[in-house]
Parts: sequence; structure tokens; C-alpha cells
Amino acid sequence: MNAKIISGMVIIVAALIFGAMTFIDSNVEYTDFAKAQAVAKKVQVKGKWIAEKETRFDASTTQFTFYMVDDNNKECKVVLDGGKPNNFEIATEIVAKGRFKDGYFHANEVLTKCPSKYEGDGTAVKKSL
Amino acid sequence: MLGAILVKITFAAAIAATILYVLQHRKASDDILRLARLFYFGSVAGILSVAGLLLYYILTHQFHYYYVWSYSSTDLPLSLLISTLYAGQEGSFLLWALFTGIIGVFLLQYSSKKGYEPELMSIYTGIFTMLILMLVVKNPFKFIWEQFPDELLKVGLAPTDGTNFMWVDQARGLWAQIPVEGKGLNALLQNYWMVIHPPILFIGFTSMSIPFAYAVAGLLKRDYVSWIRIATPWTAFGSLALGTGIILGGYWAYETLGWGGYWGWDPVENSSLVPWLVCVASIHTMLAQRKNGSYIKTNFILSMFCFILVLYSTFLTRSGVLGETSVHSFVDPGMWVYWLLLMVIGIFVAIGFGLLAKRWKDIPVVPVEHSFISREFALFLGASALVFASVFILIGTSSPIITNILKGKTSAVDPAFYVTTTLPLGVAIALLSGLGQILWWKNSKSDALLKQLTVPAILALIFTVVTFFFGATHVSMIIFIFASAFALFTNILVGYRIIQGNPKMAGGAITHVGIALMFLGFVSSAKYDDVKTVNLEQGKEVDALGYKLKYVGYQPMERGRFAFNVEVEKDGEKFIVSPVMFKESENGSLIRNPDIVNLFTKDFYVSPLSLEAGEQQQSANEITIGEMEPLDIAGMSIRYLGYEFTQSKEKGNYLIAKLEVSKNGKKEIVKPTMSNMTGDITFEPAKHSSGISFTIKAMNPTKEKAQSSITLTVDGIHAHSDVKESKMDTLVVEASVKPFINLVWIGTFSLIIGFLITIYRRAQEALRNEAWKQ
Repeated sequence: MNAKIISGMVIIVAALIFGAMTFIDSNVEYTDFAKAQAVAKKVQVKGKWIAEKETRFDASTTQFTFYMVDDNNKECKVVLDGGKPNNFEIATEIVAKGRFKDGYFHANEVLTKCPSKYEGDGTAVKKSL
Repeated sequence: MLGAILVKITFAAAIAATILYVLQHRKASDDILRLARLFYFGSVAGILSVAGLLLYYILTHQFHYYYVWSYSSTDLPLSLLISTLYAGQEGSFLLWALFTGIIGVFLLQYSSKKGYEPELMSIYTGIFTMLILMLVVKNPFKFIWEQFPDELLKVGLAPTDGTNFMWVDQARGLWAQIPVEGKGLNALLQNYWMVIHPPILFIGFTSMSIPFAYAVAGLLKRDYVSWIRIATPWTAFGSLALGTGIILGGYWAYETLGWGGYWGWDPVENSSLVPWLVCVASIHTMLAQRKNGSYIKTNFILSMFCFILVLYSTFLTRSGVLGETSVHSFVDPGMWVYWLLLMVIGIFVAIGFGLLAKRWKDIPVVPVEHSFISREFALFLGASALVFASVFILIGTSSPIITNILKGKTSAVDPAFYVTTTLPLGVAIALLSGLGQILWWKNSKSDALLKQLTVPAILALIFTVVTFFFGATHVSMIIFIFASAFALFTNILVGYRIIQGNPKMAGGAITHVGIALMFLGFVSSAKYDDVKTVNLEQGKEVDALGYKLKYVGYQPMERGRFAFNVEVEKDGEKFIVSPVMFKESENGSLIRNPDIVNLFTKDFYVSPLSLEAGEQQQSANEITIGEMEPLDIAGMSIRYLGYEFTQSKEKGNYLIAKLEVSKNGKKEIVKPTMSNMTGDITFEPAKHSSGISFTIKAMNPTKEKAQSSITLTVDGIHAHSDVKESKMDTLVVEASVKPFINLVWIGTFSLIIGFLITIYRRAQEALRNEAWKQ
């Protein structure tokens, strides 16, 4: 094998190792609140907003606070840096990204999944009759 | 019925054209060629009429079609109404197929001149057929009662009470109630970007199939060399269209969606970036092949991947596999589309790479005959860096699938992954795009190279030192800034020389100037931006990021939207920004649009977060009335009947509130108005016959339209003197300063111009050279 091919291979392998390590490092795992509490890492938790509980935006800290229940029915207070996410009230599911801190889940991003994105929404058609 | 039949006829015509072109490739005959063309033109006419028909149904609000009901409504302005044609999944496949059909007409003419028609068109019509197949499966002409049989279908006598209905089967007495209004377009999409961005992006998607088709056609014809000359203008066109589409998407996100930036490493953005990077890489290796004949196999592989990656990106974003890991989250289209998309990818991978494997030994190997210090090698390394970047981004974007296979759980990578992996490659790309311009083909003499290097390297060094003193002190950024500045100065110097000689050859240099400017813009606007969340109590001045901000109030806009005016002052200069917030009428979610002050050296970006209602103590002559809640004051009963929003040349936008005032059993309608001309809001009072006048003080935007309320000042009745101090509304915004973001847009502009020059040059060259004609 000549030098060119070997040096090419070395570069490719090095790049792949670099990529794989960064990948593992920055992978944000899906988990539930119980696990999120156990690990200090940044994770994402899927669940539903509890509309009955306190939901407010605090203008002085510019944080949005709400309560969320995960798929294992565990409730948790979530504090999001920033305002209320788009489509928040109508979301059928929300995903909070962040880490556990001082008894609440400190999120820096909240994604919302909207019902309008699903088909077969019978109530919507009734409304428009 | 008509629409579904048209789709099927179009599908059949496209299949026929594909088969006929394959036959023509096997055994050429004029009759077959004529027939193949006839069927192809037939299928193009078919797809045009399918699109035309759907558009007609949308424009005439035929809500008995599920698609029309799902995405449009009667209150949309014409341009947005047209854009609902491609707002849904079925429609976006339709748009893609439509562009594929139309561009194919030009491709057919072009390729027939080059003796490539049967091979090229057999592949291309195959792709066209698959896109129409998506429409056969996901029929955009589905009736609404097929979607909601329980809610809509009824048996018996036709209603006579004015209910909107349609006979489904009159003989059996089966009828369906038809909605009178559509669900409407997602409020986030309701702006002019929706009109511009998707069509350009889909032209890009369409163009990506052309390099693939040429590569396969080259293999079919056993022409391993000259196909790239024919394909180059199309590849460049594809890069231009897809690149423009991606940037416009970024600008959309920045300007109206309020993501705070133009790029979020979102799966939808990434999955169009990946094929673009590969396509750009292929432009470079094609150039190297033109010069020295090597990289033949590389060009086949890269050209094929352009299209395969577009298909894969479609699969990622349309099949629902990404789940909730994307901001875009598309409709979960059901298993049909999932497997169909996988099957389409499988088919084209099999055709492309299967044929490549079959011909592999047949393809001539031209040994790479150049030194490490040559332009070819720089091109190759640059292309490699682009491919590595695309691989990393592809892996990151596919991480929900990868982690699902490896761990059984889906998870996405943090956006930091993309920055970490692509930054070193960006440095390499920048350095190479400078070096590549001053290196000679085959071999460069090092002393000549050094001489050429000196000036741009010194300029770049000075530039980097200056930016260092302005605060760009991160080591990674110093390296990136130096590399980008080097690319910038080299390409300016080289480009200047070329333009003096032959401007047609300057495409490359101008494109690279654009890339270098964009890189510098990325650093300044994304790494060195300043962000702060600010509370703005109405009327009070607040200092933030070196600016004075004052929230002065809101004004109603069209379609139930409200603009919140913020005065921005810096060094005596005053601007008004008006970010927008409104409740979507469908389900009451809050939509927020930012507003931007574009300054030469920076953007001041204001993104609204919320409006905190103040605790307003009402003075006696100030009243707030909700719609449908009559209020008694001074012996009168006042009802608020709602407002009308209109525009006129003299008054600008203005709003008329309707009040019904009853006094002594006599009803009278009073109409106070508010208008804004050139940003200043003026209020015009309206007088009741008893002499009492009403002036609008505020419209209450925070409540839903059905419960909206109005605050009025009533003059002419005895006012109490105990007016209490009231706390004003507080507007919460995220303000940010994005330094030199204009570099990104100027760079984009330069990139587009460079591409246009290259396309012109390569197309002229390809058309002039008749030597390839058989």
C-alpha cells in the first residue's frame, strides 16, 4: 500500500472516531422524570401538561413554569428559560429538554406536538359545519 | 372523482413513457421515440391538470375535498390561498412532481441534442413516475366524508333547512353534510415566505434527480467520461436552487418564526443541507475530472448520492420516524407512505449502485497524476471535507433511528454536535477554497505559490488581529476567522484578476467570496451575538444591550393580529419595531413574530415573549366592555358589537368599533375609530345624539376574538375625581444584537451570482460543443 492510501485511511478513521465520540457525548437521551432525577445529564422527557396546576410566566425571571406528567404518571414541576412555547395549550404531547435541579426539571427547550398534525380529528370537522 | 382519475391517467402515462424510453434504449426506433415523447408530454399535461384542478378546488373553496378543507379557508388572501396547494403532504408531493414534469421538458430537449435522451429520460421519467405514485397512494382528492364518515354521512331525506350538503349516493338516500369553512392554514405559515420558499426548495429537490439520472445514463451508455460535461450545468443549477431554498428557509425562520437565528440544526433543515453539500462536492470532483481524467468513480457515486440523499431526507421528514424530535414534526402519514418511501429509496439505490457495481471493472481507472501541491488535490480535499461534513450531519440527523436500533430508544443529538463536528471541516473548507484558487493544475512551484500566498495571508492575519481586539478571542474562532478571511482575500484578489480577463470565468471566485463572507457572518452573528430578556412596562424606558427600549402600545392589524410597538433608541436615532403576537383562532395558541431593525453593521432583533396585563384601575369615565356583555352607565346601556378592520389610502389601516347605545328605549349605533397612518395611532371619537362622546382607548388583544373587549373613554358625563394610579401592561421581549449578520446575506447574494455565472458558462460550453453529439 502506498503512503497516500494509508494517510487517507488514517484521516477517515480519525474523523469517524471523532464523530462517534462527539455523537455519544451530545446524545440527549429520552427518559422519564425518575431517571432524570438520578442522572445529572441533559435529557429529554416526554409527557403531558397538567392544565389544572399552576402554569405561569414570571416576567422578572423570564421563566415559564408548569407541571407535567410523564408516561409513567410521575408529576414534576418544569421551569423553562423563556416564554410559553408555541402551541402550548393545544399540544397533545410535550417534550422538555434539560436537566433535573433542586427538585424541579430545569428545561432550556420545550417542544410541542399539535393535534392538528394528526389526521382524523373529528371534532375539528364538526366545528366547521 | 375527476381528480383521482386524472392522477391515475397521469401515472399510467408516466409508466408508459418510462417503458418506451427503456425500449428505445434497448433498440432505437423513431416510432418508439416519438411515442415515448408523446406519453411523456401527456404525463406532464396530466400533472399540470391535476395541479390546476386542485388549485381550482382551493380557490373555489370546495370543502367537500378533505385536502381543501384541511389546509385552506375562505379568509385567506389570494397568494396564501394558492400556497395551500402545497401546504399538506399530498400537495407538496404534487408540487415536487409538477416541477419534475416541467423541468423534464427542458431536460428532454437538452439531452436529445446530446444523444442522451433515451437513457436519461428512462431514469428521469422513472423518478417522475414514483412521485406520481405517491399521489396515487396519498390521494389529494379524497372526499371529506371518506375521512369522517361517522360525523358527516347521513341517510334519509335531504335537509331543507339550508344545511350545506351533498349527495353521496342519491339512490340509497345517502348524503353528507359539508363544512362551510376550512380548517385554514397553520398560522405560522401565513406569510409571504410560504409563497416563495417551498417552490424554490422543491425546484432544488427536483434538480437533485438530474445528476443521478445523468450518472445512470452514462453507465447505461458506457460513457464514463463525457457525461459529466453534459451534467455539470444541471448540477450547478441544482446546487443553486437547493442552496437558495435552504437559505430562504433560514431567513424565514429568522425573520418571522422568531427562532432567534437563521439556523437551528433542525432535522428538516439538515436533511436538505446534506444533499446540497454532496452536490457541491460533486461540482468540485467533476472539475478535477475535466482537467485530468481521474475521480471517475467518485463522480458517479457523488452524483447518485445527491438524489438518494434527497429521498432519504424525504423519508426522514415525511415518514414520522423522527417523531417528536423535530420542530417541524410533519403529519404521521401512516404505514403506506413509510414503506413506499423505503421502497422508492431501495429501487433507486438498486438501479444506481447495482449498475455501478456491474460496470465497475469496465470503468477506466485513470491514476491520479498530480502532486500534493496542485489544484486537483485541493479540489479533492475540499470535496472530501464537504462529504465528511454531510456524513456527520446525516449521522446526527438520523440519530433517532440509530439510537432506536442500537438501544431500542429514540433520542436526538444536541445541536452542539453539529457545531463541534463541522467547525474543523469549515476551517478546512475555507483554507482550501483560498488555496485552490492560487494553486496550479498538476503541480505548483512552491516559490511561486509562496509569492501568491503572502498578500492574502498577511491581510487575513491583520483582519484576525483586528477582530481579536473587537472581542473574537476564542481559539477555535480565531482559527476559523483567519481561514475565512484568507479565503475571502484570496478569492477577491484572484476574482479581480479574472474579471479583468474573462468575467465569464469568475463564477468560482465570486461563489467562494460569498462562502467566506457567510462564514464570517456565521461567527459574528451566531457566536458573538448578545441576547437579553427585557420587561417593558408600557411608557417606561428600559436600557438593554446599549439600546433604550420603550413599549408604547399596540395596534390591531389584519386577520385578528396585533402589533406591539417598541421604540428603540440608540445614539439619538429612533426606530420603531413592531413584533406581532396573536391568538390563532382555530385552537387559541399564541403565535409570535419578531421584528428587526436592520442596521449596516448589525441587526437589532426583538422577539416578543408575552404581554403581562397590567392592573388597570378604571376611572369613572373609562369603561371596558366585553362583546355580548352590556354595560350600564349614566342611564345608558351600551353593547359592544365587535369591530371591523379596513384600509384606505387616506387613513391607512383603521379599525371601526361598533357600539349599540340604548337610552330611554331608543337604540343608536355609535362608531368610534382608531387608525394608524405612518405608525402614529390616532383616535377619532364618535358622538351619541345626547352629546356624550366615545373614544377608543384600547382594544384588548389578549383574549380570544369571541370574547374580545374594548376600553373606551366616555366624555360628557360627570367624571369622578378619585382616579387611581394604575399599573400599565408589561411587554416581555427577547432582545438581541446580531453583529454583522448582513455578511450572511451579502455572502448569499455573492454565492448566487457566482453560481449563475458558472451555470451560464457551463451551459454555453455544453451547448456549443457538438463533439459529443452522436
